[in-house]
Formats: sequence, C-alpha cells, structure tokens
Amino acid sequence: MIAGAWICLFAPLAGTLAIALLGTRVPRAAAGWISTTSVFVAFGGALWSFVDLWSKGGHNGRTSTAWTWLESGGFKAGLEVLVDPLSTMMMLVVSGVSGLIVLYSIGYMHGDDEERRYFAYMSFFVFSMLLLVEGGNLLLLLAGWGLVGLSSYLLIGFWHERPTAVAAAKKAFVMNAFGDATMALAFFVLILHGGSLAFQTSFDNAANLSSTTVNLVALGLLGGAAAKSAQVPLHTWLPDAMEGPTPVSALIHAATMVTAGVYLIARTHPIFEFARTVELVAAGMGALTLLMAGLIALVQVDIKRVIAYSTMSQIGYMFLGAGIGAYANGMFHLMTHAFFKALLFMGAGVVIHALAGEQDIRNMRGIGAHLPRTKWMFLVASLALVGIFPFAGFFSKDSIISATLNLGWYGWIFWVVALLGTFLTGLYTFRLFFIVFTSDGEVRPHHETRGEGPWTMMLPVSILAVLSLVGGWIQFAPIWTPLTDWLAPVARTLDVAEPTSTQEWVTSALALAISLAGIGVAWLLYGARTRRETPRLPALQRTLEHKFYFDELYDAIFYKPAAALAAWWRRDIEESFILAAGPDLGETAFDTGRGVRRLQTGLLRTYVFFLGAGMAVLAVVFLLVK
Amino acid sequence: MGNFLVWVVWIVAAFACLASAVGVVSFRNPFLSALALIGNLGSLAVLYLLVSAEFVAAAQVLVYAGAVMVMFLFVIAYIGPRQETPWAGGPTWQTAAAVLAAAAIFLEVIIAIGLKAGGRLAHTEHVNATFGSPGWIGRLFLTDHLLAFEITSIVLLVAAVGGVILGAHTHHAQDAEASL
Amino acid sequence: MLGPGIAWYLGVSAFLFGIGALGVLLRRNPLIVLLSLEIMLNGANLALIAFSRHAHNGAGQIFALSVMAVAASEVCVGLGLVVAIHRRRLELDVDSLSELRG
Repeated sequence: MIAGAWICLFAPLAGTLAIALLGTRVPRAAAGWISTTSVFVAFGGALWSFVDLWSKGGHNGRTSTAWTWLESGGFKAGLEVLVDPLSTMMMLVVSGVSGLIVLYSIGYMHGDDEERRYFAYMSFFVFSMLLLVEGGNLLLLLAGWGLVGLSSYLLIGFWHERPTAVAAAKKAFVMNAFGDATMALAFFVLILHGGSLAFQTSFDNAANLSSTTVNLVALGLLGGAAAKSAQVPLHTWLPDAMEGPTPVSALIHAATMVTAGVYLIARTHPIFEFARTVELVAAGMGALTLLMAGLIALVQVDIKRVIAYSTMSQIGYMFLGAGIGAYANGMFHLMTHAFFKALLFMGAGVVIHALAGEQDIRNMRGIGAHLPRTKWMFLVASLALVGIFPFAGFFSKDSIISATLNLGWYGWIFWVVALLGTFLTGLYTFRLFFIVFTSDGEVRPHHETRGEGPWTMMLPVSILAVLSLVGGWIQFAPIWTPLTDWLAPVARTLDVAEPTSTQEWVTSALALAISLAGIGVAWLLYGARTRRETPRLPALQRTLEHKFYFDELYDAIFYKPAAALAAWWRRDIEESFILAAGPDLGETAFDTGRGVRRLQTGLLRTYVFFLGAGMAVLAVVFLLVK
Repeated sequence: MGNFLVWVVWIVAAFACLASAVGVVSFRNPFLSALALIGNLGSLAVLYLLVSAEFVAAAQVLVYAGAVMVMFLFVIAYIGPRQETPWAGGPTWQTAAAVLAAAAIFLEVIIAIGLKAGGRLAHTEHVNATFGSPGWIGRLFLTDHLLAFEITSIVLLVAAVGGVILGAHTHHAQDAEASL
Repeated sequence: MLGPGIAWYLGVSAFLFGIGALGVLLRRNPLIVLLSLEIMLNGANLALIAFSRHAHNGAGQIFALSVMAVAASEVCVGLGLVVAIHRRRLELDVDSLSELRG
C-alpha cells in the first residue's frame, strides 16, 4: 500500500516534468493526454493503497519515510507519506475527480494558445494536493498547502493577458498567504513546545500545552483553513477566482483545494478538541458563511459565480460538521460535494463552450433546448446539491444538520441556520437551472456539434452524473454507516455530535421539505409559464449584489492605507531623497573636483609655494613634537 | 686685535652677502641680478675663509663664480635684453602667501636653531691646521666619503648629457607651432 | 674660534635661504628663479660649512662640495631648458608656461 501511495504522489509530478521538459516537441494534444494519464495512474495508486488498507482491516495507518528532509537541532522532519483511512479517502477523491476534470479539459481547452502550460499546471496542482493529503507530517502538509496556493495562483491567472484574471490571481494568493502565515505561526508554537511536527507526536504534545497556547495553535490552523476554504471573513477571493478556465474552477475551487480546510480540521482534530472554543468558532464561521453565500448567490448573474457562492455555502456546511465534531459527516459531504459541484461546473462549462465564452445567464435563455444531455446532467447535479432523495447530497448534508442538535443553545441556532440554508440552496440552484435551461429564448450554440461537445467533455460529465446519484449511497445514517466506521480510527465523531435516530429522521424530513419548498419558489419565480415577479427590495438587493460590502471593507482597511503609505513613501522619501541622492552625489563629486582643480594653476610658483608652505608647517610640527 | 679684525671682516662680508642676495631677487635686469649673485658668491667665499674652509672657499670662487655664473651670463646675453616688472606676477594672494611662507621658514630655522642647539652652539672646537686644507678634503673624499664622490660624478655626467640634448638643434625646429 | 660664533653664520644662512625662497616664489623670469635657487643652495652650503667647523667634522665640507657640484649640474640643465624655450619663441614667463594647468 505504501508503494501505491508513492505512485499516487509522484505520478502527477512526473507528468508535469514530462510536459515541461518535452515542451514544444510534442503536439498540444499530447500534453493533455500525458497529464490525464499521470493523474489516472495516481488514481490507480490510490486505489491500490485503499484496497490494501481495507483488506488489512483499515485500522492502522502506516507512515513510510523516504529520507530525512529537514533536520535542525532537535527538530526532524522526514519526507514521509501516510496511508490511513482519512488519507486514502482523500487520495481517491482527489485523484479520481482530478482525472475526470483533466480529461474534460482536453476538450475544453482545445485550441487555446498555451495548452501545454495549462496541463503542466494541472498536473502540478494534483501533485500538490496529493502532497497535502498524503503528507506524513505537518511540515509536508504545509508544503502541499503552499504549493496548492501557488498552483491556484498560476491557474487563475492562466489567461495572463486579462487584467481581471491577474488581479484575481493576486487576490487569491494574498489571502491564502495570510492563512499560510497563521498556520506557520501555529506550527512554530508547536515546535517550540513539542519539538516535533509529526502527526501523532504533536497531537500527544497538545495535551500538555496550556490552554492559551493550544487555543492559539488552533486559531492559527483555523486561519489557514478559513483562507483556503474561503470562509468568512477570508472568502472574498473565491468569486474572483472564477476568472480562471472553467475546469480550473471545477477542480480547484470546488472539488479539491477549497476542501483542504475541512481536511485540515479533520486531520488535526485532536488539537482542536483541546481548544473546543476555537472548534466551535469554526462551526460558527461555517454557519455564517453558508447563510451569507446562499443569500449572495440569489442575485448573481454570472453562471460561474452562482456556482462559486454555492461552493462557499456548501463548504460552510462542511465546516459546520467538522467544527462540531462530526468529522466523518464533514468528510462525507466533502466527497459528495466534489462529485456534484464538479459536475455543475463542467455542465456550465459545456454551456460556456457552446456559447463561445458567454457567462451571463441572462444571455443564455433558450440554450437548454439545444443541449438536452447537458440539461439532464445539470438537473442531476442540482438535485444532488439541494439534497433530494436519492441523490448524493441528501445523505451527506442531512447528517451534518442533525448532528448539531445535541450541542446546546448554539446547536439549535446552527440547526435553524442550516435548514434555512437548504431553502436558499434550493432557491438559488433552481433559479440557475430554470433560467439557463428551461426558459424560452432564442440563444443557440455558436457552432453545431454532434453530441453537444467532444467526448472528452461529455464522458466525465456522464461519469460524475452517475456518481452524483449513487455516491451518497455509501452511507445512510443512522441505518448504515460504513464511512463513519472507516474513518473512526483516525477521526472519531465526538459523542456530542452523534444524533439519535429520531433526530436524524426528523431533520431529514424537514430538510427535504424545506428544500422542495425552495425549489417550488424558484419554479414560481423563474420556471413557470406565467412567472411571478420577484419581490422588489432594492436595499437588500444592493447589499447582496455588493456581497455584503466585504470587498469595500477590506479595501478601506487594508488597501487604501497601504496605497497611501506607499504613495507617501514614494513621493517624500524615494523621489526627493533616495533618487535625488544619486545625482546629488555626482554633483558633489563634480563640485569638489572643480574646487580642487583650481589648485592646478599650471604655474610653477604655485607648486613651489605649496612645497614651501608644507615644509614650514612640517617644521612647526616637528619642533613641537620633538 | 685679531678678533676685532675678524669681526669687522665678518660684518662687511655678511652685509655684502645679504645685500647682494636682496639685489638678486629685486633687480629688473637679469644681468644685474647675475652680477649681484657673483657678489654674493664672493662674500660667501670670504665667510668660508673665516671658518677655515679654505678648499671650499676656493672651489666656490672657481666653480660657482667662475663656471656657473659665466654660464648664466652667457645665457642672459643670448636671451637678450628684457625688462619685466618683477613683482607684478600672479594673484595677490599668492604674493602675500609667498612672503608669509618665506618669512615663516626663516623664523622657524632661527627658532629651531635657537631652541634646539641652545647652549651647544656656544663652544666651537679647536681645529688644527689641516682642517679645511685640500689634502684633508681629498683624503676624506677618497676614504670616508667615496660614495658621495662617485655619485656626484655620475650626477655631473647626467647633467652634461642632459644639457647637450636640451641644447641641441632639432631638425624640425622650423615648426611655427610654439609647443615645448 | 675668532670672530662671531657659529650662530651668527647660521643666522646669515637662514636669511639667505629665506630670500632665495622669496625670489623663487615671486619672480616671473625663469632665469631669475634659477638665480634665486642658487642663493638658497648657497645658504644651505653656508650652514653646512658652519656646522662642519663647529663639530670639527669633514662631512659638512664634503657635502657642501657635493651640493656645489649638483648645483652646477642643475643650472646646466635649467639653462638648457631656458634656451630651448627661447628657441621655440615662447615667452620666458613662468606664469604663461602653464600647460600643466588642470
């Protein structure tokens, strides 16, 4: 199983290197196939590790160290991979969904100027993400963390001639860097007090830390998780990240990278359990985000942005689950979400591809008639997202919601917020579906293609549609919980987050009813033959359109003072002082030279005079000294 | 009586020496300056005699006044008559500074001698009859100070060669370009 | 020793040196400058001779003779220079011979 893990980790890296080194010697399509193959090889390795671990009972994770990577004083960190239930689950999800998306990219990015660079970056991203989930110690996790941030930056800004793309890439990177910094600080504290960043050792050491210290560490970890997973308040980068190509949005900003935060909390849950307050803060952040994002998604008109806010909202659910201690539920929702969110993005990609780049849903009315298969896939994904039985989201989301009931007064608040979130989910998802796919309109695809798109695009879409249907059948709490049992050795659900079966059934029924209500309202407003008018609330509309003014707030707090300071520095210090110093120095040298030059009269008498005067002075000195 | 006589001679010679020195520096006509220098050299020879340096006094008159000054007079005659305003040259600050420097040197030498030598100058040794005689000088040249003797001769040789080269007629002396 | 003490000779020597220095610094005709230089050298010579007498050491007189020889050589070369300048029809004025002016 370890061999499988190493293959899984390094196959995508080999793909990247192959593409980079072969360069223009291979045709563009070859780059895409190299990348796809490398990721599917990684999936094979992940499968191998998983099966092996499963056959051995699935309890014991194994760490395998290749060599000591870093040794400094008493601190050692090896280049090690960890194969345990949690990491194999993530490996499978990441490599599997990535493989499908890279395959899809072959069709989507066909004809782009810099395809090879794209596929090199994609493989590199998969490698980074696998490093993150397979890393056997916190240091490698941090390395993977940083590398996925880098890949995200490179891929968001892939079309680098677009200023909006470049700005979005920078925004994503800077906000993620903030999270990286807090995580690094947390790790420093861990090293200071424990001397090790190995998983088990640092978890054991956490028991000995003072309450403040462990809260600080957890806070640092939470900062990183929130930045990476785009939770409030570090969420503003995710909608802008939609500037990247659609497969990138599907892979990085839906299925894998943004879920890294949830994985982090699940992986380091022993530390969080010592800092229960911080863990509950994470849950609160998740609840707040799921509500806010759901509201904002109601007014978005860019197809990708609706899905992006939906991602933010669903990750809010995952944070909520992980924060209250229901780690397996959070991870389950992570898995199903990867399926249907990637499907949503890819379906949107098919539409965008057919319309040659159009992303405004107001200009897509009527396309549904021309893309029937895509329409049905999108419907499957939407139903899964909203959580309708028997689609995948039903099983995963409801178990999170019901887990909140035993926590206390705030558990009730979480429960209500989460149910409200399901209403909003139904509303915005089907708003999107009805506007794009079922409304009357004149929009036609730009070029007639057989089968709506190349097979490289339609095949992954179909596979994900199937997974969105059956992917949730792996666990039906409280009757059948193989996933929770699988993850129990490493991420045991806290007792307080275990709902009773009554709570489960009641919650599921309520959630189903509320989601259907949401779908119904959407149908009334957007889908029915005689559409009702949307209620006019201009102030609320404006607030939602400005995304609760977070961007403006950050602009005022961070950007404007920094820009003012930089301008002041440039004007008063750099221009007037430093830049002038160069010419001034030159001027001074010139003036000194000119002054000294006046001594060179060329007259013999002057030189003799100086001789004489010098001698006179020396004689005086000599007399005085001797 | 002998002492008195020596004093008188000394005063006359010293006065002549100093006056002629001032004359050298002051005369407008270079010819007169040269003549003043000859007077200076002569009075110096007298002073040398007063300190029993007979050979040096004779050499002074023969070499200096006899050869060097004649050379000077030749060149002055060759150059031809010219007048100049001796004190008009250069910016005034240089003049003032030059005077100051010269005065400073003079004073310093006096002070140095006064301060350092002090009492030790009071007593001069007795010398015997051979002091300052040619034979005595010659013996010194060939024994204790042979190196100085040889080096001096080389210097003279170099100067002679240099003089010839400088004075030689160059074939492109027809150049109207006045460059050195 | 009969007559004035060594100090008087040294005084005359200092005076000669000063006058010579003044002449070198202030006169414009190179010939006069050379003459003033001769005066300075003679002043030094006098001091040497005086000290030789005072200390009964022949080195002073030997040195004075060497100085005389060197002075003669230097005058020879200097006069050669003056003649060369004159031949080139340049002004015999140290103030105008300022090609080394910076």
